[in-house]
Amino acid sequence: MEKRRGHIAWIFLAPSLILYLYFFVYPTIEAIKISFYKWSGFAINMEFVGFKNFSKLISDGSFLAALKNTLLLLTIGGIGIFLIAFIFSLLLGSGIRGKKVYRTIIFFPYIIAPVVHSIYWGLLVYNPRTGMLNQFFKLLHIEVLSKYVFTDTRHIFGSVLFVIIWSSVGFYLILLMAGIERIPPYLYEAARIEGATELQIFFKITLPLLKEVLVIAITFWGINAIKMFDLLYAFGGILPPRALWTNAVYLYIVGFGKRDPIFQLGYASSIGVVTLLLVLIIAFIIRKLIRREIYEY
Amino acid sequence: MKSNKFLFRGFASHAILTIWSISIGMLLYFTIISSFKTNKTVFKQLWSLPEKLNLVNFQNAWSNLDFGRYTFNSVFVVIISVALIIIISAPASYALTRMKIRFAQPITFFYLAGMGIPFQLLLIPLFKIMASLNLVDTLPGLIIVYTALSIPFTVFLLTGFFLSIPSELEDAAYIDGCNEFQTFFKIMVPMATPGIVTAAIFNFIGLWNEYMLALVFTTGTKNRTLSLGLYSLYSSLQYTSDWCSIFAGSVLVIIPTTIIFIILSEKLISGITLGAIK
Repeated sequence: MEKRRGHIAWIFLAPSLILYLYFFVYPTIEAIKISFYKWSGFAINMEFVGFKNFSKLISDGSFLAALKNTLLLLTIGGIGIFLIAFIFSLLLGSGIRGKKVYRTIIFFPYIIAPVVHSIYWGLLVYNPRTGMLNQFFKLLHIEVLSKYVFTDTRHIFGSVLFVIIWSSVGFYLILLMAGIERIPPYLYEAARIEGATELQIFFKITLPLLKEVLVIAITFWGINAIKMFDLLYAFGGILPPRALWTNAVYLYIVGFGKRDPIFQLGYASSIGVVTLLLVLIIAFIIRKLIRREIYEY
Repeated sequence: MKSNKFLFRGFASHAILTIWSISIGMLLYFTIISSFKTNKTVFKQLWSLPEKLNLVNFQNAWSNLDFGRYTFNSVFVVIISVALIIIISAPASYALTRMKIRFAQPITFFYLAGMGIPFQLLLIPLFKIMASLNLVDTLPGLIIVYTALSIPFTVFLLTGFFLSIPSELEDAAYIDGCNEFQTFFKIMVPMATPGIVTAAIFNFIGLWNEYMLALVFTTGTKNRTLSLGLYSLYSSLQYTSDWCSIFAGSVLVIIPTTIIFIILSEKLISGITLGAIK
């Protein structure tokens, strides 16, 4: 009886397993292999170069800048998103009316296509000539801000980072609220009776009990931040400005970019391998940092 | 004093939340009104309502700029991909959580680990594979790519949901004489419907909005998807200056996801909420 169940289970697994293995796992392994070769994609022959691609990465200014951007996006973006999400979850949890409506509205940008965000913010908001922000500050007679070019090389990363935070907060807000709602109110009541301040309650009760949800949420952000492509790539016309290049964007440009007449597929794959390593490291760090204890209640 | 502080907090909360919400509303408002304006006036009269609801930009986008075809391609590819994803992932998730498989844990981890792989890494060999199958620049080819790449996340969601279904139901069905397929279809699937709906909506939104995979796996305009079409239009902006068609295109792109959002946001949010608690 048990054995029969086991065998039928493979029928349930088979279709997804086959597709997954052939179109996902196999290409990933191939890509790791390719990273040790030099290959233009046109030639049939690939030239084995060992770790040369990787050592080339270390001295590649564009890659190092991209790596820096990826890490900035990860950390500053993450801090921005979770800070604001926490604040909102506290605001919404304090018993005000319209909680669900606010939560829904704040979530809305998350489901809008990144291209549309790039267009809206790029053309209508940030653009120095046509956009709203500069006009708005001019109306308020704030010279400094009305002349501030949100889209120039020095500023554009910050501007785009704001867009990313702004559009992502809603999703992580929902996750946080889901976790917070699970905390039994009697814990809060007891703490208030004991005379705890709101801040103490937050750090000693809310935060520790959210550990499970936080691991999932932060890991999810980590993965998405490292993989992020659509919004960044579309933010500037034919090719995104260098200031917006992250690992993911750089990988794409090196591997599939139209500028380079020679496709450097081996090199691109090595960027991919490093990016994958980054994901693993981040996931590991997150687990270590947060999962020190799981509270039962 | 205490009640004043309470009132102030309430007011401040509402103020912050309202300002944030307004900024979100502005995205919709300005994109939509700009799509009804003309190229000459759109940036001069940024803030005001359009003079009339002229649909010329939409017509232009739909016919001249091929957005009609792109829309059809997107609808076709995304709906079929989502259906396929659910059809293959649901049984797999059920099997991994409810059926006695020797290596259930490692296999589940194997599926989930895929979520961490940046797509860009496997694009290069995947392109080679699809080219060898003659599936590059075809709609079925894109469907296969979309389906395969969505498996890890969908299995992640669905295993969570199947785990939360009490196993007594299953045992009862089994005792009643149901075989595995009947148990699955008649009992588990109905019970897991919220999870399946959530997974379907998430996949639909994600695939509808994406353009990177479409960019790699379609060449030319015949099989282009809507999101990709919008991106292409935007990236050719410096030659055409046809801003308003871009706004019209943006409206087209956001219509399905916005409709889903308006109708199903409660379901979606509760799905995420349930999924987060595992």
